[in-house]
Amino acid sequence: MSAAAVSDSVRLAATGCITPLGDATATAAALVGGVRALQPTPVLGRAGGEAVPLALLPGRALDETNPPAWVPVLRALLAPVADRPWGTARFPVAIASSNFGVGSLYAFRRYGEDGSADHGTPHGSTDLVRRELGWGPALAVFSHACVSAHLALAHASRLVLAGAADEVLVLAYDFLSPFVAGGFHALKILNAQFPAPYQARATGSIGLGDGAAYAVVTRGRGDLAVAAQSLHNELHHFTANRADGSGFATVLAPLAPAVAGRKLWLKGHGTGTLEAGQLEAAALAQAFPGAPLVGWKGSLGHTLGSCGLVELAVAAAALRAGTTPGTVGSEAPTLAPNVALAPFANAGFDGVLCTSNAFGGAHAALLLSHV
Amino acid sequence: MNDPLTLRLKHLIVETLRLEDVDPQQIEDDKPLIGSGLSLDSIDALELVVRIEKEFGIKISSSEESRQALASVAALAQFIRQRADPARLASLAGTPAN
Repeated sequence: MSAAAVSDSVRLAATGCITPLGDATATAAALVGGVRALQPTPVLGRAGGEAVPLALLPGRALDETNPPAWVPVLRALLAPVADRPWGTARFPVAIASSNFGVGSLYAFRRYGEDGSADHGTPHGSTDLVRRELGWGPALAVFSHACVSAHLALAHASRLVLAGAADEVLVLAYDFLSPFVAGGFHALKILNAQFPAPYQARATGSIGLGDGAAYAVVTRGRGDLAVAAQSLHNELHHFTANRADGSGFATVLAPLAPAVAGRKLWLKGHGTGTLEAGQLEAAALAQAFPGAPLVGWKGSLGHTLGSCGLVELAVAAAALRAGTTPGTVGSEAPTLAPNVALAPFANAGFDGVLCTSNAFGGAHAALLLSHV
Repeated sequence: MNDPLTLRLKHLIVETLRLEDVDPQQIEDDKPLIGSGLSLDSIDALELVVRIEKEFGIKISSSEESRQALASVAALAQFIRQRADPARLASLAGTPAN
C-alpha cells in the first residue's frame, strides 16, 4: 500500500507503552531530560560476549525464562483497556512483533529448557498472550521487521473505516534475547558504540531495547486522530534500501494532501546506522522543509517490530505534555539541518509525522494530529 | 603472482560463499567484492566477515569497517595484515594454492 488513507475519523481512544524508562508519560519526560536507557550489556546474556548497548526493562535479564517474564508486563500494560471483549468480532486484536518469542527457541535448543519451544513461534507466542489475557479468537498477527506495528495500525484503521469493527486493539511487543542481540551483533550494526541517530560520524551503530505498546483504534472518540497512513515496500533487496533513497521519498509522497497546510514535527526511525539515517533524513528534509526531526533510539534503543507503536505512544504523550524530546545521544554535526538535538515546545504544531523503516526497503509513515 | 595471503583469501571467498562457477585465480585483486564486481550482497558479506574473523583471529567492529575491509581482495589483505598476528600470517606461506 502506498496510497494514504486520509481521515480525521480514525482516532486513538487510548494508547500506552512500557519502556525501560517507564510508561509513555514517564518515558517522554525522561527523554526530555536526556536520560539514556541503554546500558552496556553482554550481547549473549549469561553466555557473555562483547558489551553492547541494550535497554532492558528494570529487573529483566537478557536471558529467556519459562514461562516468559514478559507476560506479566503485557498484562500490566493492558490493564487500562482490559474491560473490552477483545478478540471478538466487533473488538478484534492486531498483534505485531518482529521476533515474538524466538529467543525461547534458541534457549530450548541450547539449554534444553522444557516448555520454551511452546511459545517460541509467532503462533505459540500470540496464543500464549491470548490465553493469558482471556481474549477471543479474533486476532490478526503482523510481522514485517521494523514496520510491523505500522502494518497492524493500518489494518486496524481499515477495519474501523470499513465499519467492520467497533474498536481494534493494536498490541506490539518485542523483548530482547541473546538470539536477537547476537544476530544484530553478527551484522556489525550492533557493536560497542552507542547509537547516535542522524549524527554525521565515521561509523554507525544501533542499540536494542525492550518495548511494548498498545493503541485502541476507533471512530469519533479520542483527542488524537490517525489522519493519514502510508506504506511502501521497495522489494529491492533482502536487507538493503535502494541507494538513491527513492523508497523513503515514495512512502512520503501520498501524505501530501493530508499534511498540506499543517505545521508538523517529525519522529523519524533513526536507528543510528549511517546509510539509512542519511537517506531518511534527506527525504524528510525535502518533503517537510524546516520541520524539526527527532529520533529516540539513542536512548530507548531499537525496539524492533514494536518501535512504531512504542514511539507513537511516546509521541502522543509528548503532544499532551507540550514538549517534544530531542534526539538523545546525538550531537552536531547532523546528517540534515533539520535534526533537533534539544527538546522543543510543540504547542504551535498541528501534529507529528511518525516514520519507521525496515530491512528489505519496507517503509511506513503515519500522521498523528490533534482533533 | 599472488602472495600467499591474497591467494588464500580468494580461495576462502569461493569456499565460504560456495561460488561454484568462480575460479579463485580469476578474482582480480582490485575488483570490488560488494555490489558490482563479484556482486556479493550483504548476507554474503556477513558470512565472509564471520569466516575471516575466525580464520585470522581479528575483529571487524562495525558495518563501515566491514565495508572498508571488503572493498576488494587487496583491501582485505591489507586490512588483515594490519591486525592479524604475524605468526599466523607467516604460516600461510606454506599453504597450498588448492
